[in-house]
Amino acid sequence: MMSKKGLNLGQLKNDLAAAWAIAKKDMRIYYIKPGTLMFGILFPLSMFLSFAIGRNTPVSTMIAGLIAITIFFSSSSVGPMAIPTERRVKTFERLLSAPISFYSVFLGKTIGGFLFGLVIGIIPLLIGMAWFDTQIVNITALVIGLSLTSFCFAALGIMFASFPTENPGDIMMMLNFVRLPLMFISGVFLPIASLPNWGQIVAAFSPLTYANDIIQYALQGKTYYGLLLDSLILLLFIGIFQVIGTQLQRKFRE
Amino acid sequence: MEDYAMEVAGLTKYYDKLTAVDHINFEVKKGEIFGFLGPNGAGKTTTIRMLTGLAKPSEGIAKIFGHDIQSETVAAKRCMGIVPEISNVYDDLSAWDNMMFTGELYQVSKSEKEKRAKELLSLFGLYDRRVDKVKGFSKGMKRRVTIAMGLINNPQLLFLDEPTSGLDVQSTLMIKDVVRGLNQKGVTVFLTTHNIEEANVTCDRVAIIHKGRIAAIDTPEKLKETIQSVQSIEISFKESSPEIMKELQSIPLVNEVRKEGDKFRLYTQDPSGVLSNLLEYSKSKKVRPLSLNTLGPSLEDVFIRLTGLETRTKEGDHDE
Repeated sequence: MMSKKGLNLGQLKNDLAAAWAIAKKDMRIYYIKPGTLMFGILFPLSMFLSFAIGRNTPVSTMIAGLIAITIFFSSSSVGPMAIPTERRVKTFERLLSAPISFYSVFLGKTIGGFLFGLVIGIIPLLIGMAWFDTQIVNITALVIGLSLTSFCFAALGIMFASFPTENPGDIMMMLNFVRLPLMFISGVFLPIASLPNWGQIVAAFSPLTYANDIIQYALQGKTYYGLLLDSLILLLFIGIFQVIGTQLQRKFRE
Repeated sequence: MEDYAMEVAGLTKYYDKLTAVDHINFEVKKGEIFGFLGPNGAGKTTTIRMLTGLAKPSEGIAKIFGHDIQSETVAAKRCMGIVPEISNVYDDLSAWDNMMFTGELYQVSKSEKEKRAKELLSLFGLYDRRVDKVKGFSKGMKRRVTIAMGLINNPQLLFLDEPTSGLDVQSTLMIKDVVRGLNQKGVTVFLTTHNIEEANVTCDRVAIIHKGRIAAIDTPEKLKETIQSVQSIEISFKESSPEIMKELQSIPLVNEVRKEGDKFRLYTQDPSGVLSNLLEYSKSKKVRPLSLNTLGPSLEDVFIRLTGLETRTKEGDHDE
């Protein structure tokens, strides 16, 4: 007879396989949707250019900020496009009625956003390295930073997508109410050290602050909070977004 | 002890103050086709959502092949195939990729899901179109893909919600054939339909749900027996006129007249008495009958009687 632990491990394996299947499917369907491309790529790029052009700062020093906000927008855009659309065409119920745990559906959707943000986030890095003399100072910090940043913002997008609407525009609108202010208080355009005290306190509540700080460290060797604290706080935000997201999904399913 | 595919006891769902499903009890035997009928808003969809693990019951228990849907959700779901009312396929994927994805969700091995997908798409006449994106498919083809997806895991119990609603004849016949074939292989089918005649000719037993409660549950023929007083004569005439409805209504022993296409249906408790009165009427008015049938109560009559619905055109409607 199979032990309970054996059964649980078997179920965990099934759940992970299902999560990966959901992520692969989302990549094929939602990565090239106009809404994803607009909010995930064009929007952060144009926002960054509007604030960066004309400033008396070398482009190479702005690449870290560009990577952070690109991942911020791109990772958090996939869930809000995919989940309401799936609700509308009732394919989300197909996922929920499958013999897998609810968390595997949630994880699959998060992985879809994570990989999108990771790939899109690497593009400004490659551009910086090719044309603007951007250097990788700490490769480990870069890998950790890109991964945690992308997963954290994918989870943020899924948390917002947990509100029970069938219209992606509703979620994008709510999300932008949060994303746009965060962009200005997270040290992307102004270093945290140069912010007034109240600004530094506010910045501490933004996950983008730590994402930006960790990538700054990886590319320029400068950090305000340190790699360990940045990583731990990003992990904490991931946990918070996932718990709130799963609770909201459960609540609204009833 | 009889083995059941499904056991439902005291299943209830409250939405705030509304009781959508009210302490329903029934069993579905292994291998039977069980019809679940009811008017809109009666609680059918809520019941199915609870049985398939999509909604949490407020009270009561539902077991699928012995697995409690609440505490052994994954094991219960593994026994099921689900075909919802709306064809929930991924339009941006091909028919084949839809099958493969569903196979992955149900943990079907690669070789098995490829074998099953080939068999099922061939069975539904879609194998030649397997690489085409589903967005280009007709409604009937999408329905067939949805049912094929519901069968990828070789389920012991198939939930079919309005499987043939609004479909072309070819798709309808194909789906009915497949359902019959599956049932012959021992698959239990839980069928929800608005098409009462479909339930009558397909189901071993039916349950009629009304206002959240089970109003009746039995075989179609036994349900019809319960309203034997509702007998009728169906007649059509070579020539028809607007006055015929009124004249037929005035024939002695006729309780009610309904016009059904080019035919009239005369409800009575005494068919032989009405028959002789009808012949007299026919002679006196010189209207020649084209066809004449005596009919027992239909499952639809039972449904109407139990749910208190009245949907067909009556005499009064024609007078306006």
